[in-house]
Amino acid sequence: MNMKKWWIALTLAGVSTLATAGEQVIVYNWSEYIPEDTLQKFKKETGIEVVYSTYESNETLYTKLKLMKGAGYDVVVPSTYYVSKMKKEGLLQKVDKAKLDNFKNLDPDLLNKPFDPNNDYSVPYLWGSTGIGINVRDIPEDSISGWQDFWNPKFKNQILLTDDVREVFHMALRIKGHSANTTDEAHIKEAYEYLKELMPNVRVFNSDAPGEPFLTGDVSLGMIWNGSVVQAQEDNTDIQYLYPKEGAVFWMDSFVIPAGAKNVENAHKFINYMLKAEVAKDCVDYVGYATPNKAGKALLDDETASNPTIFPDKETLDAGEFHNDVGDAVLIYDKYWQLLKAGK
Amino acid sequence: MKQTDVFRWVSVVPVNLWLWLWVLLPTLMLVAVSFATREPEDLIEWTLTFDNYARLSDSLYITVFWDSLWLAGITALLCLAAGFPFAWWLTRLQPRWRALALFLIIIPFWTNSLIRTYAIKLILGKQGIINNVLLGIGVIDAPLDMLYTPGAVICGLVYILFPFMVLPLYSNLEKLDQSLLEAARDLGASRLQVLRKIVIPLTMPGIVAGVLIVFLPAMGMFYIADLLGGAKNLLLGNIIKNQFLSSMDWPFGSAISIAMIVLMGLLMLAYFQAAKRINRSGGIHDSTL
Amino acid sequence: MIRLCKWVLVSGVFLYLYVPIAVLVVNGFNANKFGNYWGGFSLKWFDKLLNNQNLMDAAGHSLVVASTSATLATVLGALGAIALYRYRFRGKQFMGGLVFVEMMAPDIVLAIAFLLMFMALGVALGFWSLLIAHTTFCVPFTLITVYSRLNNFDVSVLDAARDLGATEWTAVRKVLLPMSAPALISGWLLSFTLSLDDVIISSFVSGPGYEILPIRVYSMVKLGISPEINVLAAIMLLLSLTLIVLSQWILNRK
Repeated sequence: MNMKKWWIALTLAGVSTLATAGEQVIVYNWSEYIPEDTLQKFKKETGIEVVYSTYESNETLYTKLKLMKGAGYDVVVPSTYYVSKMKKEGLLQKVDKAKLDNFKNLDPDLLNKPFDPNNDYSVPYLWGSTGIGINVRDIPEDSISGWQDFWNPKFKNQILLTDDVREVFHMALRIKGHSANTTDEAHIKEAYEYLKELMPNVRVFNSDAPGEPFLTGDVSLGMIWNGSVVQAQEDNTDIQYLYPKEGAVFWMDSFVIPAGAKNVENAHKFINYMLKAEVAKDCVDYVGYATPNKAGKALLDDETASNPTIFPDKETLDAGEFHNDVGDAVLIYDKYWQLLKAGK
Repeated sequence: MKQTDVFRWVSVVPVNLWLWLWVLLPTLMLVAVSFATREPEDLIEWTLTFDNYARLSDSLYITVFWDSLWLAGITALLCLAAGFPFAWWLTRLQPRWRALALFLIIIPFWTNSLIRTYAIKLILGKQGIINNVLLGIGVIDAPLDMLYTPGAVICGLVYILFPFMVLPLYSNLEKLDQSLLEAARDLGASRLQVLRKIVIPLTMPGIVAGVLIVFLPAMGMFYIADLLGGAKNLLLGNIIKNQFLSSMDWPFGSAISIAMIVLMGLLMLAYFQAAKRINRSGGIHDSTL
Repeated sequence: MIRLCKWVLVSGVFLYLYVPIAVLVVNGFNANKFGNYWGGFSLKWFDKLLNNQNLMDAAGHSLVVASTSATLATVLGALGAIALYRYRFRGKQFMGGLVFVEMMAPDIVLAIAFLLMFMALGVALGFWSLLIAHTTFCVPFTLITVYSRLNNFDVSVLDAARDLGATEWTAVRKVLLPMSAPALISGWLLSFTLSLDDVIISSFVSGPGYEILPIRVYSMVKLGISPEINVLAAIMLLLSLTLIVLSQWILNRK
């Protein structure tokens, strides 16, 4: 009897994933990237249940969707250039903007980015930057102005870099006056040669949220995400954020609808809901990154809305760069990245 | 069918079918892909090439292989050095406490390894527990740099893999006949002799099992090494994962995987051959005892 | 002297194993989110966890997947070990080779292969796909553990049992199984542990609606791991400790 119950429970567990009772939309996103409250309210308002599934890296998201030929999920939130990559490979479908009344809420400065020039396929959700983090207790803030300062020999074995090939090469490429989206091997090689000189200063390539090593005092200078600084400041206001003069790395997470989505109608309803001003405000309060939603930003309290760490001015934005898909040049980047790490 | 045959069938066929379906088939795919050509959008183009293997001769990959081998080897050795006496102690406990001790070993490992690694970072960090204690009692004047060093990586890997050494060893040592050891002692063998001539040869299968279970997975592990070591060195796991997930060069990734499996297989074979020869000239069958 | 060494070793090992656990449990109740210093006692993460239905569901799913796949892997692994130990059959060495290959195969390779296979066979991603994948990567661990236990064991005992008129099944049940019990337990525990911690393979073979804990946890790295996870770990720790102490008490009372 007991055995039998066990099996019934098991079978149910298996079947429950197949059961499609009622209206739903399957969202594939980072964990805790949308407030639970918002999902509940969406259900109350539309009767559509959000099935929230999570991934741990853009690479996993992309590869999984690629293998499943764009089926299985209704709304996905890839970062920056993964949009153009997926679009190019036919993994996405066009977003019907006629169904998105709230699209007008978005800031035109943050639309039409190179990874999706007309926003035909993607709707921005949150955006942020990778810049310089400083613990001003250890390093005077005015002694640092750009990426270039990382190369100063006095920072031997002290710098934190993100464990991301494009972001690390971004620094050297910008210092050398190239675009961070270059596909020219000569430029990449030049950057590599320059980065090699930086290696003695590197203490850690950080592969998770970069705020923690700053908080624990293990590093005082390095690359950091602006959202991590906002979080870290709750605990330690000595940790400051700086937009490097050579230009920061900007990224944007956007809603897209995979080509094989089953609930396309609901996906549009969901995206439209997320574009509401109040919802966008809630998301910023919860996550700590910037919203591209102008109407939503207007609802934020002054302290947040005028915090340059979260919302840089237009000049800073123009000085930086959004990464774009580099196509096959990714092999060149990877080659030099491996050489860099292997110390060759 | 006779009952013997029924049971023989039950023990041989299902496992083999399972392994063929879920291991052999994927492996064959892997081999096939490793001879194919990369295609930027469809991932794989079925044009036969040996380039993927030729690329492996690059000194970069040899360095990486060596680094991974070294790290996994040290980890396995340290696990064995601490795990063997520990497992021995386990088997000497009264049976009623044994189960409790066994569970106490494994319970910490039911917590996600990522957050355990975070805890280790908090312990080893500049303002971490160890530094605070040492500074507090005045052993050191300035905090030690322990995090983001090879030492931290090994500390983490041993921590993550320790029970994988202890459990197989324990289940093997447990059956060791006490009277055999006492007899040897009575006959005048020293403790060391007993260990070398009886205990180790008799528990060799357990030692081999433990080392295999720690060493092989450690070859591909990189996440913990990256978090604690600062990702300054590449390990085989990093490179393979990158080929599949970011460069999207599946053929090359497959070739690395196959090469790694074959090389490790050869290493194992060589080891077992050597062990056999040593066993023949010593161990339990040795008449000098 | 030897006594002293023993206690140093044993307490050293337990310290090594439990200090990090203590740190993370303490941080589950630390008002300071980052845990780099003590910010005062707080139950806010506990509160947050109770309101985080997704996380609790994922933890529940993880336990179900881990216990069933560990059981299945132990059965398969034990059968495989008995096959290797007791019988001659064609492809015996080949089977050993497959087990070796599987232990060596990088997670990402298995992950992609599993996903391709499930799609080819039409297995929906969810509980069953996770169960199959987890069972598969656990089998080598149980098989090796059981096999190493049987390996030195004298076959003649089994044959003696047969000579005395026991059927093959009785011989296996009365002799082999009790013989391998510690290895079965070890193998099960190892599998359970592996399954609870797998992230790469699981992210590829899990489907919407049936998520397991490790994916949730790794997916938090973008925003920083929330101390809720520490509270969850503390609860699971407390539960397993209570269960074990209870069962120990009941066993010892008998």
